[in-house]
Amino acid sequence: MKTVDISITIGGPQGGGIDTSSNMISRAFAYSGYNVFGVREYHSNIKGRHSYTHLRVKKERPRSLKYPLDFLVALDPDTIFEHIEDVGKGTRIIYDNSIEKSDLSQARMIMKDTSERIRQELEHSGEQMTVAGTISLMKKKGGIAIPVPFSDIVQKAISGGVPSRYYNTLGAALTLAISGVDVKFLEESIRFVFSSKEKVVEENVSVVKAAYDYCQENKFRTDNLEEIKRSPRFLLTGNDGAAIGKIMGGLRFQTYYPITPASDESTIIEEHEDLKWIESENSKLAKSGIAVVQTEDEISAIAMASGAAITGARSSTATSGPGFSLMAEAISFAGIDEIPIVITLYQRGGPSTGLPTRNGQSDLLFALNTGHGEFPRMVISSGDVEECIYDSMNALNYAQRYQLPVIHLIDKNLANTSDFIPEIDSKRVKVPQVARIVHSPEWRRYSLNTNTGISEFGVFGKDIFWMTGDEHDELGHVTEDSELRDKMMVKRFHKLEVADSEIPLSERAILYGPESADVTFVTWGSQKGPILDVMEILGKEGKKCNLLYLKMFQPFPSEFVSGILSKAKMIIDVESNMLGQAANVIKLNTGIDITRRILKYNGRHMTEDEILDATRTIMGTSQKKIEVVLKHGA
Amino acid sequence: MVHNFKTDLTVDWCPGCGDFGIVTSITQALAELNLDPRGVVAVSGIGCSGKTPHYLNIAGAHTLHGRSIPYATGVKLSNPKLKVIVTGGDGDMLSIGAGHFVAEGRRNSGLTIMVYDNEVYGLTKGQAAPTMSLGEQTKSLTKANIFGKLNPIALALSAGYSMVARGFSFDMKQLKEIIKTAINHEGSSVIDILQPCPTYNNINTMEWYKQRVYKLEDDKSWNPIITPEDSAEISGQKFASAMTKALEWGDKIPTGIFYQNKAIPPFTKRLAKNVPNYLEVTPAEQRVSTPDGYTVVDPKQTFADKIIV
Repeated sequence: MKTVDISITIGGPQGGGIDTSSNMISRAFAYSGYNVFGVREYHSNIKGRHSYTHLRVKKERPRSLKYPLDFLVALDPDTIFEHIEDVGKGTRIIYDNSIEKSDLSQARMIMKDTSERIRQELEHSGEQMTVAGTISLMKKKGGIAIPVPFSDIVQKAISGGVPSRYYNTLGAALTLAISGVDVKFLEESIRFVFSSKEKVVEENVSVVKAAYDYCQENKFRTDNLEEIKRSPRFLLTGNDGAAIGKIMGGLRFQTYYPITPASDESTIIEEHEDLKWIESENSKLAKSGIAVVQTEDEISAIAMASGAAITGARSSTATSGPGFSLMAEAISFAGIDEIPIVITLYQRGGPSTGLPTRNGQSDLLFALNTGHGEFPRMVISSGDVEECIYDSMNALNYAQRYQLPVIHLIDKNLANTSDFIPEIDSKRVKVPQVARIVHSPEWRRYSLNTNTGISEFGVFGKDIFWMTGDEHDELGHVTEDSELRDKMMVKRFHKLEVADSEIPLSERAILYGPESADVTFVTWGSQKGPILDVMEILGKEGKKCNLLYLKMFQPFPSEFVSGILSKAKMIIDVESNMLGQAANVIKLNTGIDITRRILKYNGRHMTEDEILDATRTIMGTSQKKIEVVLKHGA
Repeated sequence: MVHNFKTDLTVDWCPGCGDFGIVTSITQALAELNLDPRGVVAVSGIGCSGKTPHYLNIAGAHTLHGRSIPYATGVKLSNPKLKVIVTGGDGDMLSIGAGHFVAEGRRNSGLTIMVYDNEVYGLTKGQAAPTMSLGEQTKSLTKANIFGKLNPIALALSAGYSMVARGFSFDMKQLKEIIKTAINHEGSSVIDILQPCPTYNNINTMEWYKQRVYKLEDDKSWNPIITPEDSAEISGQKFASAMTKALEWGDKIPTGIFYQNKAIPPFTKRLAKNVPNYLEVTPAEQRVSTPDGYTVVDPKQTFADKIIV
């Protein structure tokens, strides 16, 4: 039997239920025993503009997406126009046959320049400027058109109502029917998705049945999908992962100001703020929850979280580029005052508002340098949903252990990635309790009498001490004494050396693949998955590859990175930015200049096929300095 | 032993500065309320007023310019058992920190906010602050002030502060009593404190204020307090009277309590409705760790909605 590896894109107008639709598809495959990996793409818009979900279904857990698609499911004409490039040999295009006459010029929600590019492509191919013309072009590329009377099917299934309200369910049902997913699994998904709303469940189930019947009556070629024994898993996004990690990591105070794609994390924490304690603790400890506060701006968000941190509550905030820029001064304050605080920075395409709902990895250098003056901070990064969980727990631990701001980078692509996680291991990362004690009168908050630079922590409510953004003495009072200034600077930076020596390498940089390889990839963030898949493909072709995957940028694991890269035959840096920011950090810390680069900054996620093609290009040239910029993505 | 609420640090404000009277009023108020010194926290921003926490023998944070309110709110909301006082200048609170000043009125977290109002930015050599009148030219200004004057009392009332008052730094007896009332008030309070800047404000001097200030409480019929029993009509009338008094400025300047609304629940009580045991086991005091050092949270139960079977 052929290995199951199905790529699906379902698209429609924002607000048209694409989320629900992809949720139904993911769950139905999950109930059939498969794993699904997906990414959401959307405009900065509430209703009307094109949005889609790109999914991949496999027996093993997929860790990347790829083109061309196996299914393109269009709930509107825009989806057909926008996804010409995603279609290849064998792509089944499911669409409403009533939209065939729709003209490109009527698709007003498509961005002007995108529309013009599509027009040129259709014109160049000698096609009409309509959905029918576009489908014809897709067929030339090997696509298989599956026109379906959307409205008729819905009207037969339910009486009254607006048929288009059920198109998302219909699109999911047609895809699943053709993929060979048993109708009972989709029914189960619908019952979950619409849980309490009985009438809605009923209507959607009858739409599903009508869709399955239609496929049978019209003798659609459907695939055989082997049913696998299903097991319980968590269906989580990167936002979920970070929220869960914080909650498990002892977070008790979270602040935020609304911003895409960060605020989902705070909403998820708020939804789960009534904590369920582990059974053995229930009787002994008072139950309690997490305070989540929406602030007036991001300056307030970080200031409030910092205020909470000095009372002993584990505290954090989450934001994206524009909000993070506003936090700069308070991060500097947390640095000099040694406040344990976590800032989860969801990177999107900058600068300024940039691409507010699209992917980017352009805030690394900023995260390393935010705030005026010199102070220690830690900067860590996650590359998949599971890492989001445990890195968030570690971030809170690092903040507490080293008493400094910890910036946790997650890219938008990862924030909006959905993945199946077999289990959440509550014993993988320890969660130390903040000591809340009344110290003796001799205790000094910023004591210089330490071998580590880490003075014993004290909290407001127990101890009397002072904090100031000015340079200060051990008590926390303002000083401008020249010698004391030097001592305090040295003490604070000493903490980073201690962190460098204490934190295991496995949390900082990982080498995937063999020690010695023909190609050494370097990356961070959400490209980890697709690169690992590319390595597998190239491995089968006899090309030895490895990946130096970076997780901690401050303190930077210079020795380890230098050791690997100085032995590497060919190094390829892969990042979602224009400047190759991680490569720059490597050069700064090790002196090694990576001159072969695969970069993408159009805001869309990197896929397996793109990285593979670019790698072949680089491997096939004698050019030592080469930059391949990836362009794909609707 | 009686706690001394004053530290032994050298105070480096200018001779004749109104800040001295404010610090003395605060320490007297804290002593007379017989508060546990570990149960009170002082938070400030930047400027002469920002130095206040260092002179108070309680936990203190001298934070960023304009951001004292959010830092203080973080302290208060993570440990609602603490009394939190905030000291800031007119520029700190009403210019760079104006957004936070307004937002805190809506929250009503339970902060005691003192605005050191001398109409100038002292520490940076006397530039015009938001409370300076249009056309006024103090000695450090090269030209007369071309900004309008902001009214801190009217702004605090419209922002929603549940207690609004004005004091005068040279009337420490009245100021101390206002501070005591504010600290005991459950919601957030704003005290606009008139004070001279002897170095840079040669117009609004101690004498200038002394000739103009009068006490609202001297009128025996003045009752600014709203209780939960008061009707909407009575509450509305009291708010309107406060607003009318807020607009008085010039030859006569009212001091005292303009408004105290005890019927508005503080933010901490609103949050307690969402977060179990929030007031009893505050975020600051919670256990996060089992005796063997792992999370107390059960992921399967807490995130049951995310499980796909």
